[in-house]
This record gives sequence, C-alpha cells and structure tokens, in this order.
Amino acid sequence: MVMRKTHIIGKPFPLVEAQKKLTGTSCYAGDEPFGPDLLHARILFSTRGHARFQLRHVDVARKQPGVVALITGADLQTRLGATIEDRMLLAVEEVHFAGQPLAVVAAESPEAASAALAAMEVVYEDMPGVYDIESALAANAPQVHPAMATYRGFDKLDAQPERNIAHRVSFRRGDVDAALAQAAFVVERTYTAAPLQHAPLETHGGVAQLQGQDELTMWMHVQAPFLQRQIIARALHMPPENLRIITHCVGGSFGSKVFVSVEGLLAAIAREAGGRPVRLHLTREEEFLAVFMTPAMRAQVTMGLDEAGRIVAFRGIYDWNVGASVDAFLREMQRIALAGTGPYAIPHAEVQVNAIYTHLLPAAPMRGLSVAQVHWAVEQLVDELAEEAGLSPLLLRQRNLVKGGDQLFPNFVMHANGLESCILETTRAIGWQPDQNREVTGTIARGKGMAMGWSPIIISPGCKSRATIQCDGENLCTVIVDGVDVGQGFYAFITQLIAFELNFPSEWITVLPTDTANYESDWQAIYNNLLWSTGKVLLQATAELKRQILSYVSELWEEPMTHLDLVDGDVISYATQRRLSVLKLLQEGTGDGPPPVFRATGVYEATAKHDGLDGLLQSFATTGFAAEVAVNLETGDLKVLQLAGAADVGHAINPEGVKAQLKGAIIQSTSQTLLEELRFKDGVPVTLDFMTYPIATTADMPQKIHPIVVEIPQSSGPYGARDLSNHALVGASAAIGNAIYRATGVRIRELPITAQRLYDALKQFHASRTRADAEENRGQ
Amino acid sequence: MKHHISFTINGQSMELTVLSHQTLLEVIRNDLRLTGAKHGCSTGECGACSVIMNGEVVNACMVLAPEVDGTDILTVEGLSDGEELHPLQKSFIDHHGVQCGYCAPGMLISAKALLSRTSRPHEEEIREALVGNLCRCGAYADIIKSIQVASRARR
Repeated sequence: MVMRKTHIIGKPFPLVEAQKKLTGTSCYAGDEPFGPDLLHARILFSTRGHARFQLRHVDVARKQPGVVALITGADLQTRLGATIEDRMLLAVEEVHFAGQPLAVVAAESPEAASAALAAMEVVYEDMPGVYDIESALAANAPQVHPAMATYRGFDKLDAQPERNIAHRVSFRRGDVDAALAQAAFVVERTYTAAPLQHAPLETHGGVAQLQGQDELTMWMHVQAPFLQRQIIARALHMPPENLRIITHCVGGSFGSKVFVSVEGLLAAIAREAGGRPVRLHLTREEEFLAVFMTPAMRAQVTMGLDEAGRIVAFRGIYDWNVGASVDAFLREMQRIALAGTGPYAIPHAEVQVNAIYTHLLPAAPMRGLSVAQVHWAVEQLVDELAEEAGLSPLLLRQRNLVKGGDQLFPNFVMHANGLESCILETTRAIGWQPDQNREVTGTIARGKGMAMGWSPIIISPGCKSRATIQCDGENLCTVIVDGVDVGQGFYAFITQLIAFELNFPSEWITVLPTDTANYESDWQAIYNNLLWSTGKVLLQATAELKRQILSYVSELWEEPMTHLDLVDGDVISYATQRRLSVLKLLQEGTGDGPPPVFRATGVYEATAKHDGLDGLLQSFATTGFAAEVAVNLETGDLKVLQLAGAADVGHAINPEGVKAQLKGAIIQSTSQTLLEELRFKDGVPVTLDFMTYPIATTADMPQKIHPIVVEIPQSSGPYGARDLSNHALVGASAAIGNAIYRATGVRIRELPITAQRLYDALKQFHASRTRADAEENRGQ
Repeated sequence: MKHHISFTINGQSMELTVLSHQTLLEVIRNDLRLTGAKHGCSTGECGACSVIMNGEVVNACMVLAPEVDGTDILTVEGLSDGEELHPLQKSFIDHHGVQCGYCAPGMLISAKALLSRTSRPHEEEIREALVGNLCRCGAYADIIKSIQVASRARR
C-alpha cells in the first residue's frame, strides 16, 4: 500500500462530531430524553472486602413508597464474564470485594431508590482477605475463588485456584541463565506500579426499557456494545437478539466501559420494571468504589549486557493484582508478555506474566493496556544498566533496538518501524545532551531523561469489524459501524475515508450511533486495532458502493464502467465528458421508477479461533519519550518542564488529530506518573473523589509539550496507517523517572512518584551520602 | 420547603417553584431540560457543571436553587447566537479542543467568563482560569490553544 497524501487523507480534518458536544446537545449518560415515566435505579454495594453477609429487611425495602422493583442475589443467582465467568451479578451469601453489588432497586425517584437501599441492613461477618500480591501468594492464604474450576471458561485458562493464580502467560527464547552468567554487566531490580482508576468524567450510566415480551433496549454509553450484549444476554439467560444496545456519546472510557460492570444490573432491574424505562447513573463515589480498577503491578526484571554493549539476556516476571476478577484483563496478558522485554532484540529472553486474584474490585485494562506499566520497569532498568556499564542511555538503546527483519517471535518478523526516529526526535526536541550532568540552581535540580516503547497490536480471536454505508436521497450517505467514538476522532476518520474514496463532500456523510440491532452479536474490534480493522471494512464497502453507483450510471448511459468515475460528488465519463450529480441521482432518480438506493457492507473476521485467548500478533506500535524535570531538593516538589512524545503511526491520516491524541496521552501519562493511586484500607477503597484521587489539572500538565509524528507506513493498514490512541502513553512514565534520576541521583521504582515519595527518597539519599562522606573523611 | 424563584437564563426570564435542597444543576437539567451542563462529581471538584451566574463561573452542583432567585444565568446552550456558533465553539472545533466532550461545556463556560474579564489572556492566565475544569482525555493543550486563537480572532 502506498502512502497517499491527497487533498483529504493526511490533511487536517475538522472533528465532525464536535459541534453537538460544544453546543450541549450531545446525549451522554443522564441526558437521554425520557418523560415522567422514567424510573431511577440504585445499587447497594458491599462495604467489606471479604465477608459472609445477610441482607435484612428486604421486604420492608420493597414496600417503601415509590419502589417498583428490587432484586437481590437471592432472586437472581447468575455469573458474569466474557471468557471466564468469575463474577456474580449479585453477591450470594459471601462478598469477594468491597463494591460488589448486593441489591438493585428501581423507584419513582432517585430519593425513593435511595430510601429503599437505606431500609435494608447488611450484617457482615468478616472473613480473612488477601489484598496484595504477596499475601495472596503466601502459603495457606485464603482462596479467593475456591470453586473456580466449576466456572464456565475455566478450561481456557492456565490457572491455579488454590494458589490464587488466575491465569499465566509466558514466552521464552534462548538460554537466559547461561547468558546472564556470561554477561559483563547484570542489573536485577523490582519495580512496582499502583492500581489506578480510569475515572472517565462521565460516570457509568444509561437507560434500559423492556419492550414487548422479553425484548430489552438499552441506551448505554459504552465502548463495546456488541461485547456487552453477549455478556449480559448470557448472564440473564436471554437470546442475544432480544437485547439491543444503542450507544450515543461516550464521555470517556479509557477501558472502563468495554467489559460489563454495572450495566448487567440495569438490564436485570429493567426486566422487572413493567416496561417502564429505568435510568442508572453512578455517583462519582460509586464510580470509584465499584466499577473497575487497573491492576497493580510488581515487576521483577533482570537484564544482562556484554562487553560490546549488547543486551544479551532478559528475564521479567510481571505479577498483576487483578482483584476478584481476571476476565477483563485476560486478553492483555499476551500483549504484556510480548512487550515484556522492551523494544530490544535480545537473543535470550524469558517473560512470565501472572494474574493474581485478591479480594479487591475487578481489574480492567486502562489506556496503555498495562504495557505502559511494563515500560515503567524496563525502560528505567535500561538506564540503570547503561550507568552500570558507563554507556550513554541513548547509545545503548540505539545499539539494541529491534529492527525491521528481526524475527523475535515464531511466525512474526518485525516490520520497519520508527523506534530510532522516535527516540532521536524526542531527545532532540528537549535538547538532551549525552554529557550533560544535572543543573542545580539553589534548591532546584534539573535533569533530562528518555524512554522508548513498543506495544503489540494483536487481533483478538474471533474479533470482527463491520461497516455498512448507505446512499439514499433522504439521508445522502449514512454509515453504520460496530466501533464507538470515545473521543479519539474515530468518526472523523470514517468521514475522511469515505469522503476520499467516494469523492463525496464530507457534509453528506453521517455516522449513526452504534446499534447492536445492525449486526449479529459477537466479539468486536475494540481499542487496539479499531482503525486498522474498521479501515479495512470501510475500504471494502466504499469499493462496492462505488461499483454499484458506476454500474447504475453505466447502464443508464450505455457506457462501459471503465470510462466512469466519481469526482467531486458527480459521476463523470472520461470518454464522453458527461456529468451527473450523485445528489440529483439519489434525490430525483432518472425519471423512471423511484430513485436508487445504494448499500454495501464490509466484513472482517479474524481467522484465529473464537474461544481461545491467543490472538494474532499483527504489528507493534512504537513510541519514544523525552522529559525534562525540575525537582526541589528540599521539598520533593516536582515539575515536568517539558515532555516530548513521538509515535510511529504509519501514516497520519488526520495529522492534527494524531497530535491531539499524543498531547492528551502526554498529559494523561503525567497524571498517572505523578498523581494517581487507588488506595485501600482492608480492601475497601478510600480514594473516592478527586480530592483523594487527583487527576492532572491545567496546573499539573507539563509546561511544554512536544507531540512528534513519525510515519513509517504499515503495509496492511488503511493508507499505511496504524492505531495510536491506546499506545500513545507507552514509555512516558519511565522518561520522567529517568529524568528525575538524572536531576537528583535518586531512582524511584514505585509508581506514582508523589511529592511525598520523592521527598522521602531524597531525604534517605542525602542521609546515606552524608554518612558515606563522613566515613570517607574518617578514612582520610 | 418550596420556594418561588425568578431569574434569567440564556436571556430568557424564568419563574419556577423549587425545593430547598434542589441544586441549580438539577433545576437546569431536570426542570428546564438543558443538559449541556454535566454531572461529574456533585462536589464541586470537576467543573463539568460550570455555568455563569451574575458574570462569575460557579459549579451548578454547589448552588442551591433558592439562591438563584434574581440572578442571571448563562449555560453552554446560550453561547451560540441561534445557529451561529460562538467564536469559542468554532475555535474548539478547528483546534481539537474537544475529545470525549464531557468537559467541553464547562470548559467553554470558564473560557467565556475569562474572555469577559480579559480580552486577550496569556497562556498562564488561561491555565489558571481552567484549573477547576477537569479533562480526563488530557486535551488541555488544545483547549488552551482554542481559547487563545478565539481571543485573537475577536479583535
């Protein structure tokens, strides 16, 4: 595929869906227009990590004024999951995490629903819980899922329920032990990353209504309506075709609205509400308490270097605290294993990825797909190794980075990629110098650091993409896709592609809200390859549509189709110079009979097995980051002065959109790196608002941001393009960590790098230096 | 307790009966069906519900409905002049000042209040004016640029 820079593709393109968002007329959670008939749902969540419980006064709650329906685990015992059903829709007898749903109610008003919840009493009998990786793996630890072997999907996992190991993925090449034994320099370290929360500004919510006998329609604001339909329908023992999910605007997801969290409860209560619409919209506190966390990581990483500066061996053990459910995290584990070495061609490597069950809320991947946390470890380790060997961190990276043609995994040869450009251009952007030591002015120390990243793009087994384009006189050109725009510019991409391929004015094109009624229920392309797979099916559909239009006119004009083309909204004949407006054709027809309607669908389905977990490795997204920080040596106060981020996107179809995603990723990474940590006390989340779980404001963003677009075309992508948004954060945190080390001499190995953590580390560092100086003085 | 209040919203006079515990956000979203201002936290931390009240930006979730009596309110729905978008709205479209869009109404309101005070703000002033408006997508850089360009175009 050639990289085609045209008048549309590769040029700035406005955000087609932005006008509604900016005039307050978009439909997000809570905005769905329903009349006085609307009921309001609320959920009772557990407040203990692991306990037996009794729910009392349920009958009293049911008789509260305004209560229309109330369901507890006694009424509906069912399990939930895409691959492994390791969650209950509603807890029965025992809670496995704080935030687990115990009951759901629908009432005439939010107040009446709250009153019903308050009328019930939960009596807990606490049981010993495991909340971190160490205690979950300890001998005789309480088992989180003693009955795991009976769950649907268990056979697909490599689990050891008695050890709280939910699933394992690994790969190995060469002989790591022998290579490490012969290496000139070896560094072995442990890095950790705190659990995070996606915290979309729009909390989870939507409306559900029973229509007819058992047909349920849900207006939800989710990232994967087809996947959710499959999960919810199975949990509620409904035929999937009886459940319809329509998705309008999504006010941020970052991975939290892919798998089912509270949506199944809304479906269940709406089925009991006598055909009245029911709204659920979580409070911010509920969003923090009960939706998903991104798992905490413990990385034990070892790297060996030979005399020539070649990385010869790597071993990485990545343990993830997935809480009480691994289901939503399973498909990231292969990705983590493949990315686990960092973007280096290392002959001897071993990566082990373990998901560990604990009594915390269920885990789901966040933007960056946990590959971002992996690089927090590996890319600081590379700097540690470079220092040990007395090499420039840039040179060490350049010498070892993976190149096009390298075969690191069976059946996969690395493609040409932008790694080297990414690291060279970002370091250049911030003015990094190899021999530059830290600069100290008064109590402020400045330093610069870098990191690279790679993130596998994997086609999930059974993954599907579909697109249908219809041209008619009433709506001109409408587009149906199964993917969802969550703010990444997806609809702009669709519009741009069709405008280019059919040569239509972009204002003819409307992307309709995603609706599961359009296609059969199944797994769908979601985040990491949405552009790639949707691009593929849109190109199929536009080619067919163009054929239909030209064939129609070819019959009309009695000219061969090869003479005809679509140009600026007209059909033209190169042979006879005739011209026919497509608009006129669609609206008025040709005189005899009704005007034509053209419709075409493109379908892509991954060939990999539907029920397996291993997807097809398709390519790697590659990134580079360079940061400059200023640290107050007395207080630990940290400022990111500049952060440059580069990504190889193959071909930037919408260059300003690509930069917007990069800038957003840089700011979100800064937030995760410096501020964010979901904290628990005895398994109960205590960070339930933006005061205790701060996310970056305009005051926290880097003072200077450099987005850098690298374009090494990917042959299989649309116009040579590659997906970006998810991968755009991979490496940023380590660049900040390396810059802090350069500025202060202090290596932070735990995320986040809060001011307190940095202050403590600086204090300890100075104390040990003072001691060393004193000893040296005594020695003299 | 019920209160009769009268106020102006987006240039229109309004009379309503509200309850003591109702918030301005509930009134404009539920009673007036103006859903541009969003629920983000209900504790005044995120700014998604920002509206202008007597020229000042307030979090509508933190204002009790009875306090609205006699005030002049502007919500995002009142920014455009009929079909004609406000220069800030146009600039947000042109310069990618919106990603998921949930924070956008609040951002526009804070920007509008800023430009009423300072016709040509520096980047630092814009950052300061937006510090109470969270954007999880991290679109701040382009939001700031959108506001800067709009302020220049106004001259």
